[in-house]
Amino acid sequence: MSVIDHDAALARAGANVTGFWSQLAFMARRYPLGAVGAVIVAIFVLTAVFADVIAPLDPTATNSKFSLAHPGSAFWLGADFMGRDMYSRIVHGARISLAVGAGAMGLGAVIGITVGLASGYLGGWFDLVLQRLLDIMQALPLLVMAIVMAASLGPSLRNTIIAIAIPLVPTVARVVRSSTLSLREQPFVEAARAVGMGELRIAVRHVLPNTLAPLIVLATAQIGSAILVEASLSFLGLGIPEPHPSWGRMLSESAAEYVRTAPWLVIFPGIAISLTVFGTNLLGDALRDILDPRQRS
Amino acid sequence: MGAYLIRRLLLMALTLFGMSVLIFVMLRLVPGDIADILTNASGISDAKEKAKIAHELGIDQPILVQYGKWIGGLAHGDLGYAYVSEQPALDEILPRIPISAKLAGMALFFAVLFGLPLGVISAVRQNTRLDYLLRVVSLSGLSLPSFWLGLLVLMASVQWFGMIPIYDADRTGFWASVSMLGLPAMTVGFRSSALIMRLTRSSMLEVLRQDYIRTARSKGASIVAVNFKHALRNALLPVVTVIGIEAAFLVGGLIVTETVFNIPGVARFLVEAILWRDYPIVQNLVMLIAVVVVTINFLVDMAYMALDPRIKFAD
Amino acid sequence: MRLGMAFAATSLAVFMTTASPAFAQKAGGTLHISHRENPPSASIHEEATISVVSTFMAAFNNLVVFDPKEKTNSPDHIIGDLADSWSWDASKTKLTFKLHPGVKWHDGKPFTAKDVKCTFDAVDGADAKSDLVRKSPRKIWYQNVKDITVNGDLEVTFELKRPQSSLLSMLASGYSPIYACHANGREMRTKPIGTGPFKVTEFKRNEVIKLVKNKDYFKKGKPYLDAIEWKIVPNRSTRMLGFQSGQFDMTFDSDVSFPMLKDVMDQKKDAVCEARATAVSSNILINRDAPPFNNPEIRRAMVDTIDVKAFSQILSQGHDLDGAAMLPPPAGKWGMPKEMLATLPGHAADVEKSRAEARKIMEKLGYSASNPLKIKIATRNIAIYRDPAVILIDQLKKVYIEGDLEPIDSSVWYNKIAKKDYQLGMNLTGVAVDDPDVNFYENYYSTSERNYTGYNNPEVDKLIDQQSAETDVDKRKKLVWEIEKKLAEDVARPTIGYNVANTCWDPKVKGVNLQVNSIYNGWRFEDYWLDK
Repeated sequence: MSVIDHDAALARAGANVTGFWSQLAFMARRYPLGAVGAVIVAIFVLTAVFADVIAPLDPTATNSKFSLAHPGSAFWLGADFMGRDMYSRIVHGARISLAVGAGAMGLGAVIGITVGLASGYLGGWFDLVLQRLLDIMQALPLLVMAIVMAASLGPSLRNTIIAIAIPLVPTVARVVRSSTLSLREQPFVEAARAVGMGELRIAVRHVLPNTLAPLIVLATAQIGSAILVEASLSFLGLGIPEPHPSWGRMLSESAAEYVRTAPWLVIFPGIAISLTVFGTNLLGDALRDILDPRQRS
Repeated sequence: MGAYLIRRLLLMALTLFGMSVLIFVMLRLVPGDIADILTNASGISDAKEKAKIAHELGIDQPILVQYGKWIGGLAHGDLGYAYVSEQPALDEILPRIPISAKLAGMALFFAVLFGLPLGVISAVRQNTRLDYLLRVVSLSGLSLPSFWLGLLVLMASVQWFGMIPIYDADRTGFWASVSMLGLPAMTVGFRSSALIMRLTRSSMLEVLRQDYIRTARSKGASIVAVNFKHALRNALLPVVTVIGIEAAFLVGGLIVTETVFNIPGVARFLVEAILWRDYPIVQNLVMLIAVVVVTINFLVDMAYMALDPRIKFAD
Repeated sequence: MRLGMAFAATSLAVFMTTASPAFAQKAGGTLHISHRENPPSASIHEEATISVVSTFMAAFNNLVVFDPKEKTNSPDHIIGDLADSWSWDASKTKLTFKLHPGVKWHDGKPFTAKDVKCTFDAVDGADAKSDLVRKSPRKIWYQNVKDITVNGDLEVTFELKRPQSSLLSMLASGYSPIYACHANGREMRTKPIGTGPFKVTEFKRNEVIKLVKNKDYFKKGKPYLDAIEWKIVPNRSTRMLGFQSGQFDMTFDSDVSFPMLKDVMDQKKDAVCEARATAVSSNILINRDAPPFNNPEIRRAMVDTIDVKAFSQILSQGHDLDGAAMLPPPAGKWGMPKEMLATLPGHAADVEKSRAEARKIMEKLGYSASNPLKIKIATRNIAIYRDPAVILIDQLKKVYIEGDLEPIDSSVWYNKIAKKDYQLGMNLTGVAVDDPDVNFYENYYSTSERNYTGYNNPEVDKLIDQQSAETDVDKRKKLVWEIEKKLAEDVARPTIGYNVANTCWDPKVKGVNLQVNSIYNGWRFEDYWLDK
């Protein structure tokens, strides 16, 4: 399959697709599932940013009168056994998931890009050592590695981000390294070298931007798995501590006690996690189709 | 070929050695050790009692000596003694392996059983409503946290059957295993089936575009025959790879699923051992997982080379 | 007073069921019970948790026990176990036990007086070379024991430094089993031998603990059960479902919280459920040596915001008991009366009024809603610790204190407290025997290892010694109340409440008698039988 030429497709579609919005509309029609994903992700990010405004109540305020209140007009999604409003907690939970998803991916990407660039660009024994280190890190499944890391660091938001970021490093580093390797010998890099550009500058100015497309695809997919890993860690009691409203933590508490008596405590945080990850996955698929046509599904 | 194999095996050994150092050092960075746990569990904070226990367990020795003892023991098949149960670590780990292996095997079976045909159907019916539906279902398989799915399954099981499967080691036999592990296996296998379905679909699409398929069709071969005999066989290679890799990565899913369904397998045991700072168990379990992952990666590479003549042995 | 009535009603019911068909016990059957966690070891002397004592007490005997047929543990209801009789000498410092002849250990070796000496010499550290126990959380119980002497195979004498009537109560606790001289620590922790009605045959970590009937048990005709099987199920929901669907005959002790009770009863209509005080209290540890709580005014403001009723409402739908340092009556034998309790800080009836006063104190010190005092509240990273801590954080907001929860891994919790590396801590304290000596010496005496806050008040120490030596019950009670009052006014370790929870069993399980003032002392299982 050849590269999809969107501009050509746009041109064929007529003159009315020049504006930003109409281009967006075109994309949405071309990738309907991706559009759904983008909407879900947008809602998720907006919820996280404006959690204070959206949530009607303080997510940590306890009230004995409303212990295990059913979903209804007072508490849309019910209340947990301490009488805390589930709707407010889920809204604030978006913030934690976003922080962990973006934070872990960001940190993992920064380290991974540095390692990958250095490894691919410098080559030699340096590359060899880094590759073996990455081998070691990849000898354990992501969740197992994250569990060991989280247990070593102790439960907190910062430590959870680190514990998830580190196992993400090898994938990013490998992607960056392989595109760096192929780019290193490209004519435009040679040209830059010929005009006397420094190696570091070449790496950052010319090689890095060209690895961006696969990186964006990877990052979108990894944000979803970072959110899932956080939920699993918190579920196992190793992630974000109380009283912070982490979705995974909410499930772990309610699952242990109230699967029967208050099923809404189990259902709603689970929906929140699933929907968010589902959205990032849909968006990731569409982005891959757009940016990286070789891997088109 | 021979030289390449030797190189690969050496690299594997190097990776495992690195893993052993990494896990050993990381465990010692964890705040609190077994002596802390044992004294804290009974509400004591007396340094003397703690030192006594630390000495008894040998964790007061220099870290290099401890590492040497562990690796030296491993070479003789001696995994040391579990701190908590005071039984040989091997006796603690060994009986739990078949449980997790059974669960993983069943999960993979379900995953292939559903993932493969649905992936083919999705590819053959590309861009139909059925395709969209299957794609959404497979994507949701990658989005649902498996512990949540497990909880929903438990809730449903209670609702419909008024009970839940509680693992009982005394029940043996095929049907007992299926009744106790079937639901958990499906829960943990859902993700894998989604992955297999997606990959089958995309590699089927790739193959279906190839010239020889078009030729076969133009020669009047029936659509079913073309799809399943020619296309699927060629699309299978990357799928086999992902099944192999998924088998290793199932370990992560097993941890939460064994926790939710209260199954005494190795995966849940790892988390418990970490929480108890039971070094001999954690170290050996982590190494076991690493050996499984590295071996599977190796086998997948070998299979790839054997099946795909285009790949050469040069690295 | 709903709870008091519930106690009365259930005790009557239990009295009737155990008293009338005493001749009808049927032998045989296996009792299936769910267990909440993997016990850290099987050695009762080394541990301080119900997870160990409830499971393994059935493998042992004590010298004496609290009468298993009585609802309340009390010095008046102590009966012989391995001891046939006992007597104090005139000076009240020598306690001599005459032992039951012909008792055998599970491995067939004879039990003798030497085993008693071995056990307690190992526990109190008198025999430094003993490897029978490697750590001992209850050393302080025996600090007053000068020597233990053996006279022949069937007589043993405890010699005390000064009179201490509570020694007999401590020996009657489930935490005071007799170990064998010829056993070693590792054996006791993994597959212990005892003289008790059941033998431990299997202790499979995280999976199952099996005990089978000891056919050579010295109490003729007992036990009735063939076996007891504890299945370890860490998830409480799963345990409940297992009980509802008949996979378990009995729940783990106090496992059914009030919010869950209704569901359990709905699903299993014939379940017998009984609520009882667990003798476990939630309390606040205060670091009095570092800012801000080195300031008595801030300590006072902190305690004034506590609304014990709100805690009880959330944690147990209002069933938790309000008390001071001792378990309150009617469940407890020693706690101060209600009227007296209401005068203590942290237990006032009008919380809003005391909060207003607390806010005044805080405002005087320069704090306000916009400029709160920021503190950290440490607690163990376990739900039963975290839950009250989360409520405390919410209540502290009302007096301009902004708390942030710091969950501490269980493995280092007491280290952290002992190092004074905290400001406030939410803690749970279980008291094995409802006796002032056990509680005060363990938790408030200046030299105790388990006085985690390092509370040191010479005046209180003197009063503790004084009540311990007092043999007149009423006079002792008065002294105990005085100590409780002093501790509360000094904001030593504010008590938030005594947990009350339910234990349920299938009606076919007979011979169950849950004691109301301690969960730790009634798990011999020799009177249990199955009616089917």
